[in-house]
Amino acid sequence: MRRRDYALLVSPSVLVMFALLVVPLYRTIEWSFQRVRYGQPGTFVGLDNYREAFSDPRFLSAVSFTVVITLTTVTVLVLGGYVLAVLVNRLGRRTRPFVLGLLLVPYVVPGLVGGTMFSWLFNDNFGGIVNQLIRALGLPQVLWFTETWANRGLVGASVVWFLLPFAMLVMLAGLQGVPTELLESARMDGAGTLRTHWSVIAPSIRGVIGFVALICIMDVLRLFDQLIPLSPQAVQIGNESLVLYIYNQAFLDGGQRLGLGSAMNVLLIVLIVIMLLPFIRDTAREGRNA
Amino acid sequence: MSDQSTVDPEAAERPTTTRGADAGRGELYRRPRGPRTSRIGGVVAGVVLAVVCVVMLSPVLWTAFSVIKPTSVAFLNPPTFTFTPTFDAFVNLWQTTNFYQYLINTAFVAVISTAIALVIGLPAAYALSRSPSWVSVALLVAALVFRALPRTAVVLPMYEIARTLGIYDTRIALALALVAINQPFSIWLLRNFFAAIPKEIDEAAMIDGCTRLSLLRRVIIPLMGPGIITAALFMFLFAFQEYLTAVVLTDVNSATVPVFIATQLGQTLPLLQQAGAASLLLTLPVFVFAFIAQRYLIAGLNAGSVKG
Repeated sequence: MRRRDYALLVSPSVLVMFALLVVPLYRTIEWSFQRVRYGQPGTFVGLDNYREAFSDPRFLSAVSFTVVITLTTVTVLVLGGYVLAVLVNRLGRRTRPFVLGLLLVPYVVPGLVGGTMFSWLFNDNFGGIVNQLIRALGLPQVLWFTETWANRGLVGASVVWFLLPFAMLVMLAGLQGVPTELLESARMDGAGTLRTHWSVIAPSIRGVIGFVALICIMDVLRLFDQLIPLSPQAVQIGNESLVLYIYNQAFLDGGQRLGLGSAMNVLLIVLIVIMLLPFIRDTAREGRNA
Repeated sequence: MSDQSTVDPEAAERPTTTRGADAGRGELYRRPRGPRTSRIGGVVAGVVLAVVCVVMLSPVLWTAFSVIKPTSVAFLNPPTFTFTPTFDAFVNLWQTTNFYQYLINTAFVAVISTAIALVIGLPAAYALSRSPSWVSVALLVAALVFRALPRTAVVLPMYEIARTLGIYDTRIALALALVAINQPFSIWLLRNFFAAIPKEIDEAAMIDGCTRLSLLRRVIIPLMGPGIITAALFMFLFAFQEYLTAVVLTDVNSATVPVFIATQLGQTLPLLQQAGAASLLLTLPVFVFAFIAQRYLIAGLNAGSVKG
């Protein structure tokens, strides 16, 4: 392709991304070295914001909450997504689109709206059907919205509810790429169902499984929408996610601590980019072969 | 991933052609290929799947159930299961709040941002799929990184910029922000669809005297039909789902439905029921969408993500 054509085709998109992504990102990095509030010029304070972040117990608690919820939900998502994909993969042509349509609903509903509806299963104001079931079984009542670990369970469940369709769909596509010969030879060797999944199918789609894990990790690290309805007391019970904490510090109440919030943004970006490195390498390799 | 052009026993039965972006679509509808198991295993699997479906839909069902109760019994604990269904919550929502306005805002922002994203994203994605230069690689890597950024890192500065330019709380500012935020994903997705169209088509058209632009407009884009629909659906979906960007960049005038629902959450109980009604009104079209657009969504998840 001629250089002029290339520039012509690429420039509108690049200009938009430069003006509306690169420039704001630069501003965030700039703010992270300043004491600053909206509408006022900041003063340079060097690494103070970063130092403050690491000595702020609320930040460390947000980090630990985010990491715990990410590790647990992603584990459940990968396992659950695999099992669900295997089940859906058995369906015939008639039922499959119907089941996929039902399963897709949590993924296409806006996160905040899905979280709101999810919270009502557990909210006594709405007759909380789950609490009724717990009572009917004679188990002690759970304080879903005010007890730290119960609330973590609730938030985690809603994250799984929201992302499971995605994990299932991508794994389903992976399962269909497994060569039939491989399954037949496993059967001839006398491998049972579980053994076949564990030693033959799962290893042969490990790229897809890794991809699902990566996307889920990135999505859960950015957890925000679901917490608004599901953890109204997130601050008091120590269930703030990183993004919610940044939002609370740098935006709510006029962004009193915009510099600190920006420093945390930068730290989160560094973390995400490190996790992306293997993926970036693959992209660079594939891009060159295009 | 296996090559998608391997022999597909059902390809002949499918009404769609397998050109370009279409190639991945039929894949999920292929005959099951798991290890063969007993009939009892099949029944157990069916029951498990049915239970999963009910659990996945339970928040929607329970919300619907609570919203059609008369307000006087809607908040009883334990819940009542005998009542005369009513649509009062929907009527109240419509009459006493600006829900209609928020719905219009949401639709406006989603449509406008999708349109702009496609107009600028299509040519860029095409160029990226055809040129292996280091510029393309750099752009793709940048797109990948920007796609993974925490929203707050770009949205909080956008708030300041919008304030400075005097476009804070306008629908167009929100639409533009979403164009930029979703641009990395859309050029990745579109690039993967373009890459499925053979380069020989370009060469043939160029020999016939087409310029790059007319080639793209007259030959390649018509071939991309389903790929463009898929990308448009994702752009629309992402814009429609967005909460953080909308809550930061809007106030009373251009708030979207998720922002409205969030503000209702801290209110008194009758308003909570209205939030439920609003949630349902937003979920119903999505429900239909999940069925009608299913093939495109699946194609997008696979083309846009597995390979990218």
